[in-house]
Amino acid sequence: MQASSLQNCNVMNGDGNATEGRSSAFVVSARKRKLQQITRTAGESTLFLIAAFVAVIVLFIFYFVARDAVPFFEIRGFREFFTDTRWYPADEPPVFGALSIIYGSLMVTVGSALIAIPMGVAAAICLSDVLPFSVRQYVKPVIEMLAAIPSVAFGFFALVIFAPMLQNHGGSILMWSWWIMATPLILLMIVVGAELVSSRIEDDRRRKVAQRVLLVVMGALALLILILVGFRLRSIEIMTGTNALNVSIILSFMALPTIVSVAEDALQAVGRDLREGSYALGATRAETIIKTILPAASSGILAGVILGIMRALGETMVVWMASGNSAHIPEPWYNYLDSVRTLTATIAGDMGEADQVTGSARFHVLFAMGLLLLVISFVSNFISERIVVRQRKILSGQ
Amino acid sequence: MNLGTRKLLDRSFTALGISSIVIMGLMLLVVLVPIVSNGIGAIVFKSTIEHRKMLYHEFNRGDKADLQREIASSDASRKEIYRMLDTFDAELSKMDETRQQEYREKFEQVKNSLRALLGPIPGDEEPALARLKYGQTRWEKAEEKLHELLFEKKWDYSNPDEMAKEYEVSRSASFEGTSLVRLFPYVEKNIDRLLQPEWTFYWGFITDSSVDAHFFGGIWPEIQGTLFLAVGAMLFAFPLGVIGAIYFTEYARDGFLTSLLRSANSTLAGVPSIVFGLFGLTFFINTLKVSESKSVLAGSLTLAIMILPTIIRSSEEAILAVPKTYKEASLGLGSTKWNTIIKVILPAALPGILTGGVLSLGRAAGETAPIIFTAAVSVGSAIGLADVLSSPTPALSWNIYNLASEHEAAAEIRHVQYGMVLALMTIVTLLNMSAIVLRARISKKLKG
Amino acid sequence: MAKFRVTSLVVSAIFLLVSGGPAEAKNGIVIDGSTTVGPLAKSFAAYFTRSRGISVTVSESGSGNGAKSLINGTCDIATMSRSMKPEELAAARSKGIEPVAGVVALDGLAMVVNPANPVHSLTKQQIAAIYKGSVTNWRQVGGPNARILIVQRESNSGTQETFKELVVGKKVHIAASAETQASNGAVKNRISLTKGAIGFVGLGFIDSTVKKIAVDGVLPSPETVRNGTYPLSRPLFMVTAGTPKGRVQEFINLSATPVGKRMIKELGFVGTR
Repeated sequence: MQASSLQNCNVMNGDGNATEGRSSAFVVSARKRKLQQITRTAGESTLFLIAAFVAVIVLFIFYFVARDAVPFFEIRGFREFFTDTRWYPADEPPVFGALSIIYGSLMVTVGSALIAIPMGVAAAICLSDVLPFSVRQYVKPVIEMLAAIPSVAFGFFALVIFAPMLQNHGGSILMWSWWIMATPLILLMIVVGAELVSSRIEDDRRRKVAQRVLLVVMGALALLILILVGFRLRSIEIMTGTNALNVSIILSFMALPTIVSVAEDALQAVGRDLREGSYALGATRAETIIKTILPAASSGILAGVILGIMRALGETMVVWMASGNSAHIPEPWYNYLDSVRTLTATIAGDMGEADQVTGSARFHVLFAMGLLLLVISFVSNFISERIVVRQRKILSGQ
Repeated sequence: MNLGTRKLLDRSFTALGISSIVIMGLMLLVVLVPIVSNGIGAIVFKSTIEHRKMLYHEFNRGDKADLQREIASSDASRKEIYRMLDTFDAELSKMDETRQQEYREKFEQVKNSLRALLGPIPGDEEPALARLKYGQTRWEKAEEKLHELLFEKKWDYSNPDEMAKEYEVSRSASFEGTSLVRLFPYVEKNIDRLLQPEWTFYWGFITDSSVDAHFFGGIWPEIQGTLFLAVGAMLFAFPLGVIGAIYFTEYARDGFLTSLLRSANSTLAGVPSIVFGLFGLTFFINTLKVSESKSVLAGSLTLAIMILPTIIRSSEEAILAVPKTYKEASLGLGSTKWNTIIKVILPAALPGILTGGVLSLGRAAGETAPIIFTAAVSVGSAIGLADVLSSPTPALSWNIYNLASEHEAAAEIRHVQYGMVLALMTIVTLLNMSAIVLRARISKKLKG
Repeated sequence: MAKFRVTSLVVSAIFLLVSGGPAEAKNGIVIDGSTTVGPLAKSFAAYFTRSRGISVTVSESGSGNGAKSLINGTCDIATMSRSMKPEELAAARSKGIEPVAGVVALDGLAMVVNPANPVHSLTKQQIAAIYKGSVTNWRQVGGPNARILIVQRESNSGTQETFKELVVGKKVHIAASAETQASNGAVKNRISLTKGAIGFVGLGFIDSTVKKIAVDGVLPSPETVRNGTYPLSRPLFMVTAGTPKGRVQEFINLSATPVGKRMIKELGFVGTR
């Protein structure tokens, strides 16, 4: 292949003066040239076929999962699967209501998003605009490490370390994390609020006095809230450590790296000129970021968020090991301290009864769940891709 | 807004960002510290004489003369215990019916605690299970068992309207007035001589296979299975991925078809891992019948599909990162496109491509969901290379799940589970580190 | 390029290391099925591998899965904690397989609670009421004022099916709030960690971390299971396609040998003879 193509190239170069009686090695008959043409086309189409392999696989995945999912809907119809909350695949007669399981998946995904999105976006901003390069060099590998930890290790942590901790000291853990998270936030709010309100007062001395009074009043109020909520949280008794909260927290660990790296890429893509323009107009760094860079990068960040959330939705081991696996909608519906069951865990756990021989609804329902996951992931992938393309167009348009 | 407020806002904004990064770092620490510290405990720990006995009998390892000397010195102290047991047994048979019954059960408990601590009592039937043949092999567990021997755990059920509280009763108190009362201080005082603890580095944890469902021994079959699966996945995915990347970067024309292929690629990257497992089951095993049932081959193929998009993407990046001038120089010298790709672009992009490959290898090693239905079994010996086409294998990721939540004595063998998690994370981390180092070298080289 | 060489060296070193493993004879015994029978199968397997040099792989994926594997011809022995269902038998016969079940041991299905729970006896009706969800507090069955956390098994579990058949009734739904665990070991572990929990495990899994309770006044023990006074017990099967022959037969017959009997006893099961 190599020799012939080398020859081929010589021929192409020397084509014009082939008739001038050069070394015979360069003279190639028309037939041979045609052969080379064919070889090249064949080679290129082989390459194309191999590249198209991925598309074939995607089609195959859809086809084969759907092939085993369709019989379920044929036997049982759509209504029960999507509207019934009762999941009794083994009972006589069986009930295949997946609503509570879909709800469980939704619940842990939303929970992890609530934790991961603010943290991930803040960390991405920090990485791209706040930290100096020397620090960033060390932070990025840490985030990559977080991404590299196998899901079963997270699941093991959730089950063996975190769940007993939550169950035995859940109240105090909630209280302390509330204090640790809320105290700096509230403190900031108070200081900034006092500044904002008092800045309207013209007189210098009166302003200072007003500021202090405000600080004291608001501080006392905040302290009261902090303590009251803290003690309220501590009095909560967590019945089971393998619950939606546990899983949400761990899943947010897993979604974070994706969100951070994609969002950071989007922020970097905004470019220097926008930043410098903003600084030149006298904006502070925070103002530049919030008013200029974030809007410009928002769609890219959104794409990262979607990808991160998808990782949480599609995760199996953590939810299987640590969600408690009870197929019900918690009471009340927002009770994150109750155990839930998710689509992925149901597939993994129920496959044991996959009596493929008889081809029962009980086997095919798992593929229906797989198909549902597949469709969700396909749609969200499509959306995030569109978003990225659009952002690229907008940014390059400027 | 005045300037001071704006400055303050700016600073607080920065503080929020930094604190979120700090929290992420803390999270990583919270996860890693217990896993690493407990995981190391699977290899480096204070072992008892029972551990050395086990090694000698099950793996034929250790110095026989040394071991016999140790056993002799330990047995000298143990003899006294067994003599006390015999004395009490004789004493028991002389008691009246009611007292006999009262003590009989307590005595059985004491004997069971002793068995757990020191292994079978002379006169017992030889146990068939390895877990009952030896006493405690690890010192920290032995200390727990010693506590169980010295104190009886009881629950206060006096108030039926409340959950009972746990309390402990000293066993020597409950044998007050009998000859057995001397046993407890004796064991406590002589525990060092009975078990002869010493620090060991048990490298066999990595290279041995397990004894009696992971009660003793190591995790080699699991490590080997993980390597088989990951390397097998690479064998399929790497060539395909690199060729695909060459097509995308060098040959593909911008158009509908190419963008379709690209979105297929990112779709594949977003498919949940459990769906790959379903696909592997229904396609490779049930439709293609690459093997009768679960096998390394089926698992590798499933994993290969999963890591393919990552390999394509990273190879693409690596190829695109090769300076245009290389390519232009080569083409300018009269080389063909294919020749340029093989001789110039690929060698220059190779470190980058390998980086991506190594990262995917790590991902393949760590994944569990795709191999549940296609390759993993909970117990099995290490399989030979000849069997990969048809045999399933234990693998680290699956067996961590299996031992932590399905094993009959999951709480007893936590150290093995931690060891497995650490082994898996070490494999993955080493691969990642080498990828990071590789990348750093390249960027240095490219900068000149 | 030097790096490439180093990398390829490392890769080939790994390969050598891996391929250096023992290449064992194929045609070992493949076992799949119940987690309840799991410990027994694993111990038999370890003994068999050691004494006969035949490799045995054991999957604990549930009785249903075991039956499936047997019908598909992908395992030699299916371990089951329930008897085969009519559909499974029909499917097997349509494939020309006549499943032969041998009872290797008996197992009591023990109801367990956390040791802190003062309740020490329940009737079958009370247990059924708890699992149906009509009793939600321990006070309603003579215990302390605490919510009941129900722990059940995955639907592929033979233990779960036996429990439903013996206690709750086949047609009755178990409360949806019940937590689901994948194995006997997981149930035990869950209950040892949670004060208000109730669950059921095979007799062989009981240790000091959980408390077994009397059902209809009888405590589960090898004796009460053997003489039939304990109401919740079931046989454990090893099922083969056709009458077992050769090494498979030898493996199953282990349960009748003195060593096998001792293993059964040491694991907390009850021998058949």
